[in-house]
Amino acid sequence: MAATTPMLPLKLLGRDWRGGELALIATALVLAVACVTAIAHFSDRLTRAMHIQSQSFLAAERVVRSSKPVDKGWLEEARARGLQQAETVSFASMLSAGDQFQFAAVKAVSPGYPLVGHLEMRPAPDASRTVVRQGPPAREVWLEPRLLPLLNLDIGDSLQIGEAALTVSGLLDHEPDRSDNLFAMGARVLMNVADLPATNIIQPGSRVRYRYLFAGDDVALARYFDWLEPRLTEHQRVIDLREGQPRVASALDRAESFLFLAGSLAVLLASVAVGLASRRYSLRHTAYVAVMKSLGAGRAKVLQIYIGQLVALAFCATAAGLLIGSLVQAQAVTLMADFFPVDPPPSGWSPLLVGLATGFACAFGFALPPLFRLARTDPMQTLRRDWSNPDRREWLGLVLGPTSMLLLIWWLSGSLPITLALFAGMALLVGGSALVNLLLVRGRLASLGGPWRIALGSLQRRAAFNTLLIAAFGTGLLAMLSLVFARTTLIDEWRMQLPENAPNHFLINIAPHDVQGLQSLLDENGVQATELYPMVRGRLVAINGVPAKERKEQAGALRRELNLSWTENLAPDNRILAGKWWDEADEGVSVEVELAARLGLALGDRLRFSIGGLEVETHIASLRSLDWNSMRPNFYMLFAPGTLDDFPATYITSFYLPPERKLLVNDLVREFPSVSVIELDKIIQRIRETIDQVSLAIESVMALMLVAGVLVLISGVRASITERLQEAAIIRTLGGRRTLLLQSLVIEFGLLGIAAGLLAAIGAEATLAVLATRVFELPFTMHPLLWLLGPLAGALLVGVAGTLACRSSVSQPPLKVLRELA
Amino acid sequence: MSAILRAENLYHRVPTSEGTLTLLNNISLQLARGESLAITGASGSGKSTLLGLLAGLDKPSEGRIWLAGDEITAMDEEQRAAVRARCVGFVFQTFQLLPGLTAQENVMLPSELRGERNAAGRAAEFLARVGLEHRLGHYPRQLSGGEQQRVAIARAYCSIAGGASGNDGILFADEPTGSLDAGNGERIIDLMFQLNAESGTTLVLVTHEQRLAERCHSHLRLAAGEIETADLLSRDGGNLSEVSA
Repeated sequence: MAATTPMLPLKLLGRDWRGGELALIATALVLAVACVTAIAHFSDRLTRAMHIQSQSFLAAERVVRSSKPVDKGWLEEARARGLQQAETVSFASMLSAGDQFQFAAVKAVSPGYPLVGHLEMRPAPDASRTVVRQGPPAREVWLEPRLLPLLNLDIGDSLQIGEAALTVSGLLDHEPDRSDNLFAMGARVLMNVADLPATNIIQPGSRVRYRYLFAGDDVALARYFDWLEPRLTEHQRVIDLREGQPRVASALDRAESFLFLAGSLAVLLASVAVGLASRRYSLRHTAYVAVMKSLGAGRAKVLQIYIGQLVALAFCATAAGLLIGSLVQAQAVTLMADFFPVDPPPSGWSPLLVGLATGFACAFGFALPPLFRLARTDPMQTLRRDWSNPDRREWLGLVLGPTSMLLLIWWLSGSLPITLALFAGMALLVGGSALVNLLLVRGRLASLGGPWRIALGSLQRRAAFNTLLIAAFGTGLLAMLSLVFARTTLIDEWRMQLPENAPNHFLINIAPHDVQGLQSLLDENGVQATELYPMVRGRLVAINGVPAKERKEQAGALRRELNLSWTENLAPDNRILAGKWWDEADEGVSVEVELAARLGLALGDRLRFSIGGLEVETHIASLRSLDWNSMRPNFYMLFAPGTLDDFPATYITSFYLPPERKLLVNDLVREFPSVSVIELDKIIQRIRETIDQVSLAIESVMALMLVAGVLVLISGVRASITERLQEAAIIRTLGGRRTLLLQSLVIEFGLLGIAAGLLAAIGAEATLAVLATRVFELPFTMHPLLWLLGPLAGALLVGVAGTLACRSSVSQPPLKVLRELA
Repeated sequence: MSAILRAENLYHRVPTSEGTLTLLNNISLQLARGESLAITGASGSGKSTLLGLLAGLDKPSEGRIWLAGDEITAMDEEQRAAVRARCVGFVFQTFQLLPGLTAQENVMLPSELRGERNAAGRAAEFLARVGLEHRLGHYPRQLSGGEQQRVAIARAYCSIAGGASGNDGILFADEPTGSLDAGNGERIIDLMFQLNAESGTTLVLVTHEQRLAERCHSHLRLAAGEIETADLLSRDGGNLSEVSA
């Protein structure tokens, strides 16, 4: 046969499209690409927005922290490289206004501060908040509102900082990098760095923290820090979000993993949808190919035509999917604009690449193998009038589809654990599908008679295809269940970490004689504080008689003083992992388990501490885990009561204070001037807001995924609809009642749904186990609800979708159904 | 006149769960150019299987077939497809028109598969010859059964006319009137024989109708995969005289 014109596949594609056949596969491809592109765009923009938001915790993209001013040449180099640069200088100082004095946390900022994020201030106490992008001008200061009554000041009054008298020109309500020094004591004062020399506060030996802020082009920034880092001394450190705000960084990491998981599941769902649609397309084209072959087209010619069509289709569908996906996400971002703290920046090219790769991977990984099978159509089928597909195992289909899908997921998620988790879930699902299907068709449910007999008969006739269908339905349900439960796990975990009434104020340096009075003040004001823990400072000097400095382990805990405490009662967030908590007469020390691991400590080891020049030696009585995120006072070393009685101690506690009762802090400071208050309320509020926004992002992506999952279920139902319609029409022609048929359809799809749901629950539990332990780094717990919800959702979704799709077989005259199918 | 179709000692067996089933048992025949052969027999006698083997749609388990000078039993599927493209046309009982294509596009398909230019013009010409010049843009679902079969005949002759050199074309028809009423069936048969005579092609058809079989030069009756009777009606002294039962 002469060469086919190159345009023939396109001409046939056009004709096929007009005939409606190609719409099946094209719709699946467009949906797949649109769904993945929208999620990739959305995730990309959300991730960028979250990073901008998270960078505002630093007020910059990167920060160098130093205890001394850095070489000016470093800053000039940054400017020469086109980077933005600013600096802050923080220190504690006594402020005075007339005869009022107050200790405060002062921060002097240069022009340009903050490089990322914003400040919020009020020019007067009764004015509304104003968002500003720079600090106070020279000769002016902004104060945290509670300082006004403490210092008896008004706006416009003069405030003395060191030797400089500065004018109070505003109230500071929000600073992005408040979390820079969580344990900075006292209320905040913001001044201009130009006024710093006039204060004459900074002297050699002063405790001052210098922060150098940088922002700019990612590449230029990375290159600058490559240049800078070798030059840093031991007093200087680069701070990024992970170090500056680990809780937010961890939330962002997990959220990113979740979004990647969602994107991967979208690819999985898309693949299944395209695979099902392609199978149906290939089945419906068997007659076409048989006729073409009888007209003299060989296998190569058929492949040439269909692959040509597939390439053209993949191009068109991918382009349409990219466009639709981009428009959908743009619309979604517009609709949700009010919920985002910052405008999500436009996404880069990567979401389009992801969509493109998805389109072609789905088209060639999942649509190509059925076409290869199609090309094997026997031309004798035209004479036999048998349009079943060649029923041969297609190694290409078994290898190409899953391989391309896994590679795509790996590329998309960048995470081997996520890829393997999904693969494990899918393998369980497919293996289980065959097993469950076998049990279904061999079961004795048919003996129930009536609709059960028809439904079971139908399941038996399509046993091989039902395995595929259960796997497809199961994939859709697995994706939905995994996402719903992963989202619940994450958000619950975040909420547990920062419960609504988590302590947000710490009181330290409480002298023993103030304990009673302080407790009374808190009680009178209905403030529930944690236990008041005594605290002495001491250094661990020897372990089992070996001096600490000779130990191989160079943990920081051996080089600095530790806070040592004692208590009779184990705190609720502490748990004994080895040894036992003490009874009255016991001695010893309880050591935090991770520190014990770092120092190589075991139960019974003898530890010697140096406290104020005196030494105390005791044995390790227990190892403890504790939750550093509980916002309660916690200690590496807890002694048995009585062991440290001879040493002078101060006390520490923490409590929750709602915003409307903030002025109680002023009463505390006035009544107990030696007590220091550490205020964490604003930073906790900011962390909570950020996590809420991340949660919202996760929930919106999950909603998109649920839509994609339902689409796969519909594709699965459509893939088997023709035969079912035909059989139902024949049964009705033979006198079968509509209710009988309807019941059998509900039973058939319901059973398929239950089987798929059960397997999806197993797969989802396996997936969640890997995700929790390997990706989110959370303890794994079983999800009993999953096992109930899986089969239930399967029965409901598949049952309803299947029955609705086949309802025409019972609602229309059978002759009409048969004629349409013919 | 030389033989355009020759089969020697054809056997066709298929494996089943109950053992091997013999569909055709030692069939030999020979047909000259321009002649017509009717294959009849009861359902399941092996008529369509024999038609498929003779047209090169499948290979026999044993035996040899020559079609237009080529031994198609020595060829693989791709080579047989090339022979079909060159000189074979098909008419099926259920028409086998592609539902997504118009009448003209269905007829164009063989020419397009061969990469010929002016496929549309040639298709229009053949549709005019079967009296459907006013139905070019209609889809199969918009045509009656008789009209659909006429489109199929136009496609078959278009296929032969484009590929065959001289009068090498051979038309295989599988119960071409099986889905039509008597009147339409009669008109379709008249049309086929008329076109056959005009274009000098050879015709092999499977039918249940005695009247149709009687119009052919030769008549082969099958029973249980074997030749039951072979009537010698051939113009040139009968190639079927060589048939061995």
